Amino acid sequence: GEDQQVALPVAAIKSLLGVIQRTNSGTMMGLEMELKQASDEMLKFANDPFNSNMLGGRSHIALASGCELFLKYITRCFLELPDFNECIEQIIYRGQRFSDISIAAKERIASTGTAFIQPGSTVMTHGWSSVVSSLLIQAAKDTHFEIIILEGRPDASGAKAAASCYAKAGIPTTVILDSAMAHVMERVDMVIVGAEGVVENGGIINKIGTYAMAIAAKELGKPFYVAAESFKFARLYPLNQSDLPTMGEGMEEHLKFVDTACWISTGGAYGKEHKETTMEGDGSDGSSRSVPGLVVLPKEVKVENSLCDYTPAKYITLLLTDLGVLTPSAVSDELIRL
Amino acid sequence: HKHKHKHKHKHKHTSTTMESAKPEKEKKPKKDIVIPPKKPKLSKAERRALQESQRAAKAEAADGGNASKKSSQLQQQSSPSDGNEANEKKNGNGNGNGNGASSDENMEGSSRNDTLTFFSHLPPYKDHRKIKDFSGVKLSSSSNSNLHPAVHALGLQYADGSIRGANSRCKAMFKTFQKVIQDYTLPLDTKKDYRQDLENRVLKPSFTYWTTKCRIHSVTMGNAFTFLKLAVANLGRDMVLEDVKSILCEGMDAYIHERIDFADVAICKYGSSKIMNGDVILTYAKNELIQMLLSNLDREKKKIRVILVDSRPLLEGKDMLQELMDAGVECTYILLNSLSYVMKEVTKVFLGASALMSDGSVLSRVGTATVAMMARSHNVPVLVCCETFKISNRVQLESITGNELGDPDDLMPPSLSLEEWKSSRGEHLRLVNLLYDLTPNEFVSGIVTEMGILPPTSVAVLLREMNPQDSGFKEEEF
Repeated sequence: GEDQQVALPVAAIKSLLGVIQRTNSGTMMGLEMELKQASDEMLKFANDPFNSNMLGGRSHIALASGCELFLKYITRCFLELPDFNECIEQIIYRGQRFSDISIAAKERIASTGTAFIQPGSTVMTHGWSSVVSSLLIQAAKDTHFEIIILEGRPDASGAKAAASCYAKAGIPTTVILDSAMAHVMERVDMVIVGAEGVVENGGIINKIGTYAMAIAAKELGKPFYVAAESFKFARLYPLNQSDLPTMGEGMEEHLKFVDTACWISTGGAYGKEHKETTMEGDGSDGSSRSVPGLVVLPKEVKVENSLCDYTPAKYITLLLTDLGVLTPSAVSDELIRL
Repeated sequence: HKHKHKHKHKHKHTSTTMESAKPEKEKKPKKDIVIPPKKPKLSKAERRALQESQRAAKAEAADGGNASKKSSQLQQQSSPSDGNEANEKKNGNGNGNGNGASSDENMEGSSRNDTLTFFSHLPPYKDHRKIKDFSGVKLSSSSNSNLHPAVHALGLQYADGSIRGANSRCKAMFKTFQKVIQDYTLPLDTKKDYRQDLENRVLKPSFTYWTTKCRIHSVTMGNAFTFLKLAVANLGRDMVLEDVKSILCEGMDAYIHERIDFADVAICKYGSSKIMNGDVILTYAKNELIQMLLSNLDREKKKIRVILVDSRPLLEGKDMLQELMDAGVECTYILLNSLSYVMKEVTKVFLGASALMSDGSVLSRVGTATVAMMARSHNVPVLVCCETFKISNRVQLESITGNELGDPDDLMPPSLSLEEWKSSRGEHLRLVNLLYDLTPNEFVSGIVTEMGILPPTSVAVLLREMNPQDSGFKEEEF
């Protein structure tokens, strides 16, 4: 419900605020050190493979950027209000408003975004993003359009969460295979995705598959929009796909390939015990069937299952943010000022 | 004289690309430098004064041939500024002879045409050995004799190429200015404002001397000079001269330390964060910043290989190669023509810059654009390392308008001797030795400055942030 709408960075900032309120430190330097420690702990927690799974495995970029922006804000605040107590009060006040700001950000993005969706258009999207979903649901109140969504393996976030959400809101939804994306692209009028992080050159980091979608959209002349709040602006500058920050060690262990046919039968939770033993194309060791829905591969075969990819700025038409509708080059301008 | 006056008006309204035509040579330093609004009046008069002195000097030095060539040269110069470069190229043969030789009164005429008329808007190469001011002990009675000897010494170093490179020229300029300012005294009988006197009698003439007589100034020199002029203008009217001197000298030292030395350290830090273990880094020609960056990597964690690309005629890469090898970096050395062969192995390209235009295009040693374009076509990221003081508020659209010509004889094939070369060249052989080229911003993946890594589109923002007094509007606090 509504609680799921709370973004991870917002929760992080709330906890940092808690640190500030409970601080014994009398100086800004001491406080900054405590906060840095706290945010490092949070990041370590998020990076831990087991916990990442819980958190959806991908939000730590937004977490890192949210914390960094907040710390920078604190430093600036101190430069303006040298008195320690006054500064603390101001920070706490702003921080408490931050979650309101974040919700308001979503609303602002939704209201600017609806103008971009023409009646009768087909919108393609990918992955589960609360910003995009609030935008599309808001637009559906005024306009009639349909959505095509990729199933979003390996966690099937597209099929699982998004499709049901949009269907409940009454928007005609179609789920397609990830690999069918380019095939369907010619029927589509625009693409809207969210972002885990918006990087300094205006590119985005998002669920794996976004980069391919952006390339296909550009090639076929479809506009590619990104909806993201401004606290997702991160101080990263990836040069190419391999230049992304490394995820938690051993993340990929937990995400094996899932056979979709079995996904339906397992209800989307792989690794769960299941009574039926449907076998799809695997004729090997019987004992491996204790983990149903899993495609079993020989040991020599390596599995690479990246969580995120990087979409360079040149594929992005516009970014819909709470600071307004920005071109990718404007992201750096904003970041320079922050 | 009237004709030239018309030019100036015309040039004020037309695009900046035309401003580098010959009669506007004196104007050039002003266009690159950001001038506080009330200055133009002074500079115009000053320009005229300078023109007068130059014309006087020309009259002394010229023989009959030169005087007649001067008139054809004037006509010559009017055609580029009319924007008919294509037409002019067709007329090239006829007018060509007047062009290369007569522009500098001190050049002994090789009446043979040495350069393309396509580049006639650029001042031709001055062989420093033939410049009168440098030979002999007696100084001429022109206005140049009022200059401090250190200025002459530096001018010679600029002209013969012993000081090369954007950073070195700027640092040397400031060292010289420090000496000059230390020796400065105000004439006792005047009630003049020392700031005006310092600027008009000492600083500006020195700078103009270097630019016009020795070698055209770099963007870095221009920016530093603007800083110095602003510093002088901001001094109090009634200050003691000793304080003035120490303030100015300290200011110059601070500028060099902050904007160059510390900036370089920061750039190395940001740049090295982009270098991974096992990278193959390609770089071009010689750049001290890149050299510092590559030598100071933590070799335990980051084992890299460097491919150094070099090109004739300067072959600057050889010095860089020596330095890198002394630092223990594994290097490969190639010439520019083998670039396409090695580019497949390269993971990242690091380039230096002479200047950065405000749209993110990079002015650098000729050949850099080729390297960047080749990297782009192989999808290799190109990072340009550049301090912020190299940012120029100019925008250049291609390499032709704001370039510099070097010695045409450098293009001589090494197997020939100079006499053989000169005698074997036919009348129709034109030589162009360009020193710089412009890398368009679409080939640049990122610019590493002391403020961090930026996309090329953000250079204008950086310029605005660093020089808020120059922007046309006030920034609102959000």
